[in-house]
Amino acid sequence: MPSFNLLAQAFVSGVLIGGLYGLLGLGLTLSWGLLHLINIAYFGLAFLSAYLTYHLGTVYHWSPWYSALVLVPLFFVFGAGLHWALARLRVSGLVSLLVTFGFIVVIEAAIQLVWTADFRRYELPYSTASTKLGPVYIPLLELVAFALAAALAFTAWAGLRWSYFGKAVRASAEDPAIAAAFGIDHRTNALLIAGVCAASAAIAGVFIALTTTLAPAQMFSWFGVVFAVVIIGGLGNPLGALVAGVLIGVAEALTVTVTNQPWAPVVAFSLLIALMIWQPRWL
Amino acid sequence: MAKRMGRASRRAVLGGIAGTIGASTLAAIQPLRAAPSGKPIRVGSTLALTGPLAQTSLIHKAVGEIYVSLLNKKDGFLGRPVEWILLDDQSKPDVARSLYEKLITVDKVDLVIGPYATGNILAAMGVAQRYQKMLIQHTFGLPHLAKYEMQFPASPIGPEPNKSAPLPIFDLLQASKTPPKTIAVVASKFPSTHFIAQGARAEAEKRKIKEVLYLEYEFGTRDWGPLAARVKDANPDFVYCGALGVESVQLLEAMKKIDYTPPRHYHLFTAPGPLMLAAEGNNALAYTYFEEHPPFTTRPGAAEMIPLYREKAKELRIPYPFFDFQAAASATAWQLLEASIKGTNSIDDKKMAAWLKANTVDAMIGKLTFNGPNNHGPDQSKVRQVIDKKWVVVWPAEFAGAKANLP
Amino acid sequence: MALTRTCYAAPAAAAIAALALFLLPAARPAAFYESFLYILFYWIALATSWNILSGYAHYLSFGHGAFFGAGVYTTATLTTKFSIPFLWTIPAAAAVAALLAAGIGAVVFRLHRLRGDLFALLTLAVAFVLSSIILNTPIDGGPGVYLSAVPLPNLGSPTATIYLLGLILAVIAVAAAYFVAHSRLGLGLFAIHDDEDVAQVKGVPTFRYKMIAFAISAGIAGAVGAVHAMYVSYVTVGETFNITVPLYVVLMSILGGMRHWLGPAVGAALIGASLFAFTGGAEATIGRAVVAVGLVAVILLLPEGVVPTLLRQAKRWLRIRGRPPALAAAPLPAQSTPRVQHAAPGVPLLACTGVEKSFGGIRALRGVSLELKRGEILGLVGPNGSGKTTLINVVSGQYRLDGGRIVLEGRQIGRSDAHRIAALGIARTYQIPRPFWHMTALENVVLAGTFGRADHQRSTIRAEAQHWLEFAGLGAHRDHLPAELNLHERKFLELARALAAHPILLMLDEVLAGLTPSEVANALALIRRIRDAGTTILFVEHNMRAVLELSDRLVVLNYGQVIAAGAPRDVVRNPEVVSAYLGAAHA
Repeated sequence: MPSFNLLAQAFVSGVLIGGLYGLLGLGLTLSWGLLHLINIAYFGLAFLSAYLTYHLGTVYHWSPWYSALVLVPLFFVFGAGLHWALARLRVSGLVSLLVTFGFIVVIEAAIQLVWTADFRRYELPYSTASTKLGPVYIPLLELVAFALAAALAFTAWAGLRWSYFGKAVRASAEDPAIAAAFGIDHRTNALLIAGVCAASAAIAGVFIALTTTLAPAQMFSWFGVVFAVVIIGGLGNPLGALVAGVLIGVAEALTVTVTNQPWAPVVAFSLLIALMIWQPRWL
Repeated sequence: MAKRMGRASRRAVLGGIAGTIGASTLAAIQPLRAAPSGKPIRVGSTLALTGPLAQTSLIHKAVGEIYVSLLNKKDGFLGRPVEWILLDDQSKPDVARSLYEKLITVDKVDLVIGPYATGNILAAMGVAQRYQKMLIQHTFGLPHLAKYEMQFPASPIGPEPNKSAPLPIFDLLQASKTPPKTIAVVASKFPSTHFIAQGARAEAEKRKIKEVLYLEYEFGTRDWGPLAARVKDANPDFVYCGALGVESVQLLEAMKKIDYTPPRHYHLFTAPGPLMLAAEGNNALAYTYFEEHPPFTTRPGAAEMIPLYREKAKELRIPYPFFDFQAAASATAWQLLEASIKGTNSIDDKKMAAWLKANTVDAMIGKLTFNGPNNHGPDQSKVRQVIDKKWVVVWPAEFAGAKANLP
Repeated sequence: MALTRTCYAAPAAAAIAALALFLLPAARPAAFYESFLYILFYWIALATSWNILSGYAHYLSFGHGAFFGAGVYTTATLTTKFSIPFLWTIPAAAAVAALLAAGIGAVVFRLHRLRGDLFALLTLAVAFVLSSIILNTPIDGGPGVYLSAVPLPNLGSPTATIYLLGLILAVIAVAAAYFVAHSRLGLGLFAIHDDEDVAQVKGVPTFRYKMIAFAISAGIAGAVGAVHAMYVSYVTVGETFNITVPLYVVLMSILGGMRHWLGPAVGAALIGASLFAFTGGAEATIGRAVVAVGLVAVILLLPEGVVPTLLRQAKRWLRIRGRPPALAAAPLPAQSTPRVQHAAPGVPLLACTGVEKSFGGIRALRGVSLELKRGEILGLVGPNGSGKTTLINVVSGQYRLDGGRIVLEGRQIGRSDAHRIAALGIARTYQIPRPFWHMTALENVVLAGTFGRADHQRSTIRAEAQHWLEFAGLGAHRDHLPAELNLHERKFLELARALAAHPILLMLDEVLAGLTPSEVANALALIRRIRDAGTTILFVEHNMRAVLELSDRLVVLNYGQVIAAGAPRDVVRNPEVVSAYLGAAHA
């Protein structure tokens, strides 16, 4: 039986990686649930942001936080622009999956052309810094990433639930024609949502740059788990994606404490299948 | 479209003619010798230029291009210019297979050399066998599967790397002042690393080093925290990391985050650049055959190749432009091809293969023989260490560029 | 879109192409061409098989890689560990994959809430679990399985053998897609795609059909895995279960068109070939981007997919040259009169006793008992929310009965599946029309005729459907999609669809709402004609004048209970009814 320390440490680790899943899933869940676009371009945008953070940091010696200040509004505009183009071209549903897949292949190629296929590592003095809570170490960057993911998810969730804007967006997602008849300007709202999605991808990218070693093809390795997180959390539910991310992260991390890591997906996803069939109320 | 090195050689031919006409300055720069002429000899191969294996293929592409241009500055193969037809297998074995079929049956290349990575090499080997083409490869990790009699490894990993590859590191540790009493083995479930890590476990047992932890992880693991926590929890004297690519760095970083630095740690097929420069990489031990210091740099072709490689790497914006065993293995593959052509004075696959089997080739990576099982010679693997942000061979002693730093 | 219209040009062309491809190895092409074409066949078979469930019935699976992988490892295990000849392992691989799908389906397809996104998630999760199990058990364990020593049957050369096997699988997959699309099964799957509940109420055995489609889909993927294991000859978990297969089959089907049997094959050929378009070392990276941009351009130009869009263009072009011959407005064949009713007179056709239905804490039906006599028109009225539509939903099997009994001609039907109830001769219409949106008016009716009655005959079903359309006054709208019809036409389409099943009991849910007075008069005349032909009618309506005019008897529901029943004139004078239902009007 693993010690309490080990379990606690693994738990923290699982929670924190879950935050990253939630952050990466935020764009996908909002655009899928609210805009009816299965927009996987956010994976590519997150990696583009990661490479830009790396570049600004290593070539121009910008602090990643300054980079984030520049990248977030930039990606917001870019995301809104991309959505404008997709809406203009009447892309929706499954077609959007194909179109945005094409988009990330282009991003991947662009990254490989600019930064080559070799590994890129962005190291900062505080890359591996952590704080201690009792016997458990909490890595700082991951903690900040989690806090931001949680803040973003909660804000998005609360905004959708309680603000007029959120209600308007949900009404439009439900029935655009009726919502429009009530004077809701769906197009502008959608641009805002798409901008927020891309901005969240930019934030995810900053942390990917800070906590991993980059390679262009890596963006595809996040697909499976983030898709799962997004659907378990409920499409269009940003908080759900975060909770689901933490759930999978913790299940996998705890599995590693008692057995070998390759069993982790079996445990996490068997749990998931069982949950879906047994169906607790929150699902 | 193929990369055509032949163009450059034609220019060289014209340059050569101009030289003989009397432009003495040109002759002074270029040693006067018969430039290659005639129909080019075409060498075909694929590399993983896109997809998840593209990092390492970058090295093999750079080395190959330098080697071919050097060949064409000399007398090519048999006095004929050399043209390298390089295709992109997208890191996929099934694509590698059909592209080797394309190279052999459609492009009708004269010679083939291997792609990068075990799965892709195996796919290429099947095609080479069917068309009886000799296949020299540089990075095949499972020699017992290399059953084709005309395949030749450019890396001296030996016929049973699971048994031989762990020896140098354990020899080094046991020769140290404080040999480890306990070991933790962390192994990627990637075929070649997993295979050798099993051998390391057996070797540890043989040497009565207690295995306090054996952990496997999946290729593509994202959360290293729990793995690091378990290693810390086990508190071994030595961590054997059967890792691939940047996994070592990720694991060491995760350990650092929980305030743990393993006393000694060894990494199998790690990406050398990131580990060398990472703060956590200090004193890391790793597998190698070749590093950028004597005696390796005095070996055939090394002195000429290394500066050119640096230049090329800069031109290609490769972030870690140093010449390690991947690059040396790649150059060796070309050297073997060149040697077997020179040795038989032909480009007949069967004759060349017979020649390689019968001879020893003094190549960049070492003196290679091919008379063991599945055409493998003895294992010549070594141990390197990051000392002052540089990889240096530390074992065996006769190859060492520095003394191992073992706390 | 015309799904059932027989058009032999495309299948004939496909068959000729396949035949020519079978003869190709005789011409001894360079091995690369065989190998390259094999990879196209591989993708064609995978994408086409995926589409049989996911495209036709719109049950998106992100786990097609799991079935492919199950096939790969079945062959890897059987050939290397048990020395079973390779060819025998192909059916075994197909069977393992199909059984895996059946196992998943048996659980998943029973649960209504696992439709749509959750089905996609579940298949994704199954793929993760399966790959991890293979990675952690001796099936693979990590080092991969090496198949080079496994003998490959010799059909000319090793590449020719692989080529022919790939071609056979591609032909099987495309043929399966074609025959499914043109069969009862396909018709049912397309109905499930549009509205699964309605499909079942119209008689489609949805559970069984989804199971069959899933098993066919997975079985073909498993067989493809078997052949591909030999093609790569060294299989690893990482390569087998990576994102490529599950992602690409979806992309290929979208590109080619998911509602056409040939769509995924065309999409697969396009994407598969484009992967080889830029393999040259110098421009590999740019090439990938160029291919991606090309694909995006194609799908933007042809958003429904290449095949459907091009077919529509071709049809438009043909139409200029002459309209296709109209179906003969056939007189009703003899067997198309309502079912012969043979039970003894006096026994009610339908008897509901103490019917209960609750939703959460709300009791929508609290012990409703009523009887329908043979050949009568029973009016069912009550204020909004009194349980009228719920009763129809329960009787038709769309909602599960919580308590009580429902007996049709002496048979308990209360807990039967909706499609079985439909087969017994109960048909209904929906208050808000729920046509199958991607089917033409005629196809909507054909579907109901095909599944709604046990004795249907394929040969006459279209002519009959045409008859019912004309009966409902929709003859001119035969080839229109429901979206092109107005509300009142959709209501009549509901009626035609219900009649095509030759019901013995027809339940009409507010067919008159929203109609103009003259349309109401037409509708009433129509309903009388239906009854005169022998069909018993349960008539739910708010329009009191129409109810009184049409009904033989009247039942009044309030708060899920029957508060009055009897002759219409008597019932409307019942003081309880007056206060509960008509109270406001008479106060």
